Amino acid sequence: MLSLRDLTFSFLKPDGTPATESPTLNRVNLDIDQGKFILVCGPTGSGKSTLLKVINGLAPSFTGGAISGEVIIDGKNLTGRAPHEFASLVGFVNQQPEGSFVADRVLDEIVYGAEQLGVDEATISKNLAEITAILDIEDLLQRNLDSLSGGQQQRVAIAAALIAGQKILLLDEPTSALDQQGAGKVLAVLKKLTQEHGVTVLLAEHRISRVISAVDELLVVNGDGSVSLGPVEDQFKDARFAPPIIELGLKLGWQPLEVTAENANKRWQEKPKTFTPINPNPAAEKLLTLDQLSVKFADLLALDETNLEFFGNQITAVMGDNGSGKTTLCWAIQGLGQKTTGRVSMQEGETADLAKASRLDLIAMVPQRAADLLFLNSLAEEFSESDSFSQQPQGTTANLFQKLAGRIDSSMHPRDLSAGQQLALVLSIQLAKSAKVLLLDEPTRGLDYAAKRALAKQLKQLIEPNRSIILASHDVEFVALVADRVILLKNGKVVSDQIVGKALNYSSPLASQLAQISQTEGLIRLDQVSA
Amino acid sequence: MKLLISRLSIAVAGLASVLMFTWPLFITSKIASEAALAQAVFIVLMPLVLILVLVEFSSGDIGAKQLALLGVLIALNAVIRMLGAGTAGIETAFFLVILGAFVFGSGFGFILGASSIFVSALLTGGIGPWLPFQMMGVGLVGLGAGLIPKFTRSWQQKTSLVVYAVISSFVYGSLMTMWNWPFLAGTGTQLSYVAGDPIISNLTRFFQYELITGGFFWDFGRALTTSVLILLTSQSLLATLNRAASKAGVRRG
Amino acid sequence: MKNNPFNAQNTNPATWWLVGICLAVLASLTTSALLLLFIAVGSMLIVLLCRDQSSWSKSIKFYLLLAIAVVLIRVIFRIIFNLETAPSNPILVLPSLEISLGFGSSLRLFGAISATSLMAAITDGLRLAAIILSMGMANSLANPRKLLRQTPGALYEIATAISIAINLAPQLISSLNRVRRARKLRGESKGLRALPGLVIPVLEDTIDQSMALAASMAARGFGRRSEASSLRIGATRFTGLTATTLLALGATLLLISPQNQALDLILLLSGLSASVIYIRLSALGASRTRFVKAKWRYPDFLLIGVSVSLLILGFSGVIL
Repeated sequence: MLSLRDLTFSFLKPDGTPATESPTLNRVNLDIDQGKFILVCGPTGSGKSTLLKVINGLAPSFTGGAISGEVIIDGKNLTGRAPHEFASLVGFVNQQPEGSFVADRVLDEIVYGAEQLGVDEATISKNLAEITAILDIEDLLQRNLDSLSGGQQQRVAIAAALIAGQKILLLDEPTSALDQQGAGKVLAVLKKLTQEHGVTVLLAEHRISRVISAVDELLVVNGDGSVSLGPVEDQFKDARFAPPIIELGLKLGWQPLEVTAENANKRWQEKPKTFTPINPNPAAEKLLTLDQLSVKFADLLALDETNLEFFGNQITAVMGDNGSGKTTLCWAIQGLGQKTTGRVSMQEGETADLAKASRLDLIAMVPQRAADLLFLNSLAEEFSESDSFSQQPQGTTANLFQKLAGRIDSSMHPRDLSAGQQLALVLSIQLAKSAKVLLLDEPTRGLDYAAKRALAKQLKQLIEPNRSIILASHDVEFVALVADRVILLKNGKVVSDQIVGKALNYSSPLASQLAQISQTEGLIRLDQVSA
Repeated sequence: MKLLISRLSIAVAGLASVLMFTWPLFITSKIASEAALAQAVFIVLMPLVLILVLVEFSSGDIGAKQLALLGVLIALNAVIRMLGAGTAGIETAFFLVILGAFVFGSGFGFILGASSIFVSALLTGGIGPWLPFQMMGVGLVGLGAGLIPKFTRSWQQKTSLVVYAVISSFVYGSLMTMWNWPFLAGTGTQLSYVAGDPIISNLTRFFQYELITGGFFWDFGRALTTSVLILLTSQSLLATLNRAASKAGVRRG
Repeated sequence: MKNNPFNAQNTNPATWWLVGICLAVLASLTTSALLLLFIAVGSMLIVLLCRDQSSWSKSIKFYLLLAIAVVLIRVIFRIIFNLETAPSNPILVLPSLEISLGFGSSLRLFGAISATSLMAAITDGLRLAAIILSMGMANSLANPRKLLRQTPGALYEIATAISIAINLAPQLISSLNRVRRARKLRGESKGLRALPGLVIPVLEDTIDQSMALAASMAARGFGRRSEASSLRIGATRFTGLTATTLLALGATLLLISPQNQALDLILLLSGLSASVIYIRLSALGASRTRFVKAKWRYPDFLLIGVSVSLLILGFSGVIL
């Protein structure tokens, strides 16, 4: 169905020389049969999405770069052709469905591709009936796209990619923006497409744990230009991008590796390992007190008379479902432009009485989209703007950034940094005045496992007796890595306030993956287990 | 050769549209129904000429990336225009058109200017007989901005952009006032056009009309906001747009 | 209202624009205040009878206010700047005032005004009000998104860019609000100075997003077109030049030589035909199908038929 022969692809600098020392894809040979469900994974920047783009013609005609070798699809050699020549054979679904919609109504969006390809009306009608039935979206055809849930949007995007009868479907991180339920339905549909309709599916994803049990084979893009294809259990030699379940297997030397929680649990129960309990950082002085803090939006009570205390030397995670009040709590503590009732006080006094500038100095916040704060053309400009704005000696921000992210060329454009580096940049800008309270709203959005680990390390570096770090997150594994204390919110109310080992325990609804596997009191993360 | 023909038809269309703005200066017939006829014909003719120019600029060679980029810039400009609307003399729709056209070229600039006026009218409900004229006007502002020479020194670049912003603000303002002049003043007042009069005396009355109706104040506000916005944003916006241009592989020829 | 065959939901949006344009042209040709009033009130009634629940159907209020304002401005303007020096039977006499602007002849404000002069101002104001209301009618009844789906092939690219923009605008507004809130965390600047910090992050985001959108379009076949022969491209361009030239000549002749109406009509009509041919030729290179087609039903034909007949009656002088 799909073959790559000696395929080499490298990105080029504007002057035509290769941008990297070795090609992104180097002499890749690959044969994929019809009807296979394949997970494509690898560390960020390894070339996962480049591989997908080579298969639908977006690389090189869209991305630039040099290609050699052959891309053969359904017996046709399409190497170096424009994307629209691939379009009738290969369907493509992007990370964010709402960013790739052309139309406003579901029906128009689905048939768009077939119209572009000049498919006749009778065939479009037939394909439309078929594909909407498979994806269970027949009732949505007349709806507006923006009225759909994320999962429904993603299924519409899949239908749109297959409307012209394409037999290969490529998906670039299709479930990363979806909740568990939405992602489950999308995966079930993909499984059905491969098994019952002979569609070949290649799925690139970094949230591997939710996908891994559904796929037939794993295609690993190693990052050195090579790729390898094989059964899931054989593929994880490299732990850089592995989910906790695989990491556990690797650490304990399981042969073969387990991919479902159920099997892993059996395996663990056969031979449980010893582990060290978690020692949370001892709380230092009390830095922040919330007294009867409430926030009301129209008729919704987003935060309901919350009383909390936060201490230095600690990282506190605020957890809860979407809409439970996590983000609202962060903004209410920061207190800018939000109507709140109740009191937020620090040693310096009530924050409502402080001048805006000194409040900004005391309480730093990194919003959900950190890049919203970046608007200058180079790191150097951002550094000096930050130093002069916070009236710190030149170099303060740059030093902090270097401490967090390592040495990076300061002439780089902030937008060319990775998501993790951007976060580090915003952290250093916001902390230039060494605030006593640091708030982070969903800091792990869009980060892969490696970047999350790096962020955890950075946050631990920032722990000081005179600083309290508070993060709102729904990412259990990340919280397990960094937090000392976990506060759980529900409908704007605090429902529990515990140390991390208890909060993410196996019996808790917030159990970490390792806690679920081990079913053991006090074991929540991998570094507790001795090999 | 084909390019030459294409440019020639755009030039002819441009001249025709200027005529449709400034007809009170040129009309010879003193019969009211004939002036009304010209007015009516131009209301229908302007959209047609506008469509011809848009087709001339767009047919054939717009790729997916240019198109998507055009879409986001049109949306952004329409939204920015709505932010500025309502405050007297503030016109925020021009600077992005000028900077966008400067980076991406005249054709892109014309489409960006005309379409963002169209979209903001769709969003706020300002569609009327004046809309094709506004679209043509802002389209021409974009077209001209695509012809501003590129300088290597930053201050020269900024100066040329600001000078263009001031000139185009006043020219656009005068054209639009010229359009509403026969509508709002009609004939038979001391500030009305007089058919067949020498151009210079009609122009004098036109300037009196501009001054008295506050048109100059609006034009001045437009020139001022556009210049200030260009001074404030050009450095970072041009960098951003240039990065977009290399991502999208579009740049003025 | 749903079962009303003339309801905006059941008609083609292009119909309402054709009706609106016919009424607007009719209004600009007539001098009869009665007919103008008929057009203005008629447009309002049509909206009230045929509108649906959509958001743009409410915009007619804006057009009504604008129309009233225009009539008032026109009348007030005439009272202040009236040209008549001493009308024989004035209807209104105000003390007059002489001012000079420093250039041109000095102006005499207020003074006496005759009934004919005032009536002419009211009629002129009514004419513009009728034009505004007939356009407002079309704007209130025609769903712009539906309309964009049926733009001619030659404008396909621009129509696509515009519908992308319309879909994107609400998202942009919320991004701007999000960034504005986030900016406060870094200490905000005031007024216009705040604009770069606001616009740049949003622009960067949307540019990235636009590249994703472009990839999604290209991967679904956008850009496929049959190779046009060099001859056909040349012919297309030449037709374009012919069309613009004919229209430009027609417009000029209309102004400088109104007695040659027949020649002018020929010029404008052949310019129009050349434009249509040009637009058709430009679209030929694309090989798209249109699955969702606009429907034209009997109410559409009826509405267009009635408006065109009114226009023809107007041109032939029967009802002016």
